[in-house]
Amino acid sequence: MTLEWMLAIAILLPLIAGILVFIIRQYQLRGLIVILTAAVLIVNSIYFLKIGLPVEYTPESHMWGTIITILDYAMLLFYIYVGLSLKNWLVFIFALTQIVPLAWWEFGMGASKALEEIKPAFVIDQLSVVMVLVISIIGSLICVYAIRYMFDHEHHLNLEKSRQSRFLFWLVMFLGAMNGLVMANNLMWLYFFWEVTTLCCFQLIAHDLTKEAINNGARALWMNSIGGTAMVLAMIYLYQTYGGDVEYLTVSTIIQSGGAEVLLLLPVALLCFTGMIKAAQMPFQTWLLGAMVAPTPVSALLHSSTMVKAGVYLVLRLAPAFNPLLGIMVAICGAFTFFAASVLAISQTTGKRVLAYSTIANLGLIIACAGINTELSIAAGILLIIFHAISKGLLFLCAGTIEHLIWSREIEDMEGLAEKAPLTTFITAIGMLSMFLPPFGMLLGKWMALEAAYLIPLAAFLFILASAATMVFWAKWLGRLLQVLPRLGRKLESLSLSYSVPLWVLVLGIFVFGIGVAPVYEKFVQFAVNNVIAIGNVFTEGWNIVLPGGAAAFSRVGVELLGSYPVWPLFIVFAVAIVMPLLVIGLKPQELRPVYLCGEQVGDSTDTDEWISAGDEKAKLQLGGYYFKDALGEKALDPWVYTVAIALLVIMFGIVLGVGL
Amino acid sequence: MNQVWIAIVAIIVAPLIGGLLAGIDRKITARLQGRYGPPLIQPFYDFFKLLGKTRIATSRTQFIWLYGYLIFMIAALVMLVLKQDLLLLVFLLGFAGISFVLAGFSCKSPYSHFGANRELLQILAYEPVLLLMALGVFATNGSFMISEIFESSTPLLAKLWPIFIALLVVLTIKMRKSPFDISTSHHGHQELVKGIMTEISGPYYALVTLTEWYELVLVLGLIALFWANPLWVEILIALAAFVLELIIDNINARMTAGWMVRFTWAVGLVLCILNIAYLYFMKGVS
Repeated sequence: MTLEWMLAIAILLPLIAGILVFIIRQYQLRGLIVILTAAVLIVNSIYFLKIGLPVEYTPESHMWGTIITILDYAMLLFYIYVGLSLKNWLVFIFALTQIVPLAWWEFGMGASKALEEIKPAFVIDQLSVVMVLVISIIGSLICVYAIRYMFDHEHHLNLEKSRQSRFLFWLVMFLGAMNGLVMANNLMWLYFFWEVTTLCCFQLIAHDLTKEAINNGARALWMNSIGGTAMVLAMIYLYQTYGGDVEYLTVSTIIQSGGAEVLLLLPVALLCFTGMIKAAQMPFQTWLLGAMVAPTPVSALLHSSTMVKAGVYLVLRLAPAFNPLLGIMVAICGAFTFFAASVLAISQTTGKRVLAYSTIANLGLIIACAGINTELSIAAGILLIIFHAISKGLLFLCAGTIEHLIWSREIEDMEGLAEKAPLTTFITAIGMLSMFLPPFGMLLGKWMALEAAYLIPLAAFLFILASAATMVFWAKWLGRLLQVLPRLGRKLESLSLSYSVPLWVLVLGIFVFGIGVAPVYEKFVQFAVNNVIAIGNVFTEGWNIVLPGGAAAFSRVGVELLGSYPVWPLFIVFAVAIVMPLLVIGLKPQELRPVYLCGEQVGDSTDTDEWISAGDEKAKLQLGGYYFKDALGEKALDPWVYTVAIALLVIMFGIVLGVGL
Repeated sequence: MNQVWIAIVAIIVAPLIGGLLAGIDRKITARLQGRYGPPLIQPFYDFFKLLGKTRIATSRTQFIWLYGYLIFMIAALVMLVLKQDLLLLVFLLGFAGISFVLAGFSCKSPYSHFGANRELLQILAYEPVLLLMALGVFATNGSFMISEIFESSTPLLAKLWPIFIALLVVLTIKMRKSPFDISTSHHGHQELVKGIMTEISGPYYALVTLTEWYELVLVLGLIALFWANPLWVEILIALAAFVLELIIDNINARMTAGWMVRFTWAVGLVLCILNIAYLYFMKGVS
């Protein structure tokens, strides 16, 4: 296949498929198209591994540039319309702050002619390919899951007129925009794809058309429009500063500066800020929390492979262009988000909100890795992107499945789920364990990040506190699921294929990528890192991932190793510790007893959870989780969180302006 | 191959030492309380008696997590004796702790849940201290590898004594001694019954006892790292810390979980942070 075709499939096929599913109103046929598109996208993304990287591509015809410009304005005009019709002035204002400078720049100043000459339009390197793989594979699985989910969803809502076509249209198209975004080199095109993802996100969050859904969609829209505005300003600044030289309007040129050019500092900081908003960093976390009202496949897509990953991708991509001070500030902003979001997650009672805070936290960690900006930290960031996409994708699909089993998102309602739905609970437990415990990949990424964080002790300290908080909120939730009477395991529930196939594929992914992290690192991540920063090397040695001592300035003589991580042995330990007992040991019914209730049990059956309460009344035993709402709730912490987060951003831009002027 | 032998020897010897220490614990505690106390190897008698009991459970999944607790604790110990990555060791210890918490959560029992929730708060209290210890070791040695500690000629204690004090607090929590015996304790307490241990019995209780012996040896091993050379000082410092814990246990009352988190964060974390900040500052100056 030629590169041209591969790009066309990656970017345009989802659009075409989206239009097809929009037109076709028949459930089976529509599902078939989604599944076929998913298959083609996955195969196509794997083909990207076969071409020599990095490659450049610019379409010969100027037509594409014109189309993109027209669509840019169409989208911005649509935002203005949304702002006016919803009477949401923030949406309106931040649409204007994009369209007015953009129009003034392109037409008022006559830049549009020059802008057509920006080359190359696409640069595809290892980092792009890693992203394309994540988007195409995990994103496609989520789309497949959505086919059945939306059917059940509408069945439950009792809608008169099905809106599944519309939903799948935006969902599938999202993948195309993301693929374009991670390969675009021309900033104008990057901006276009960026806006398309914002638009898709708005449409999907607002999909259910409840008041809350529309409000939260609008919030996502205006917050991301602030990011869009920052991007427009960065582009205009670049154009003006370099006297109309469009060479600087490409990502590759900006990166090549290596952080040495003072003039580039402000635009880089602005672009970084754009990325941080899209990655829902504090103080912009509310748009992602609000996105929870949408049907679960949307959350899964936004959190795992698209949207927020665009934000961290941009920051990682720009990392080589940070100067040390900007790097430190980005690292501290990210680390603070990691910490604050992890602590806030402890007090959440809704499952999806815990997942949301956990996503925000992990994105903070990835952004902090970009800020630390060594080869080791960038490698950690890329590994975290991959593993987070798999685990979080899985967890959201689990959350959706659970929701359709019990029709609730509350953690307290999930009490004893292991009894009602052992299979779903098993998969969910694997997803949760894979988020924070050895031997799984997320922990490997965290471990690498922490070992890389020695350069910025404040970031390292925040990582450590956040990492402790992470353990608490996951264990707490998992504990609610596992709490059962002894009658567990009578029979496994059956799941529809459209649910179970994506779930099992992702579970498989967790183990395959987790065990094979060394080859994965050597084949993908290493080169992605080297394309970003070309120094030193993290290497793999047999079973271990080994970190060489990069801390020459810090060390005494002869330190060779910073750390090492034995991957396979840890998986063997996991197999012996958890999997073996699960398979080998089974308790006989006569070995089961009721729990200790001070002798106040009703009857002596194993499965009774009734006890004799005050006044000899029978009462059902009820247990609840701890949430520490007073100490750690949003009400108590939000004022502090916002103050610190805003202050950090102000300091960041203060430093950038101080250095730049 | 050599490494495999070291690991095997450690896996066999560690519970012997742990059990013996538990015996010493009971003897000394008894003497401090004016009793005579059981024979030194009483913990082993108890252990084998428990192993021989009938298997009883109140949940079909609890034992999985109890095995997880044991095996991950052993894995962490192996990391220590093979002088591997300190940070990873702490993470493995974390899995062991979480596994035990999940064991507590996996049956529908109020006392077990009390204990599990409190155990979780204990993790919140000590985990950052342990991770900061790893960072402190890095700041002195420029590596997270335990092997590097043994290469160094000056003991860690010289530069990391504030972190050492914080670690002693962690030891108290890990040994479930007063004032931190809040998730379960060696004596039954009325409101708690036996906390997280309430629903664990017979052979599974033996399993937990075994794990606790490993844990004791592991944490004492971490303390010993602070004076890694020569070996006799290493052992002496660990024993001294152990005896100190027994005395603290006997002169203190049991405190609440909230107090524990506040105390460890206010005292332990601040000690660690000041320690590390000072080290970084000195590096910056030189």
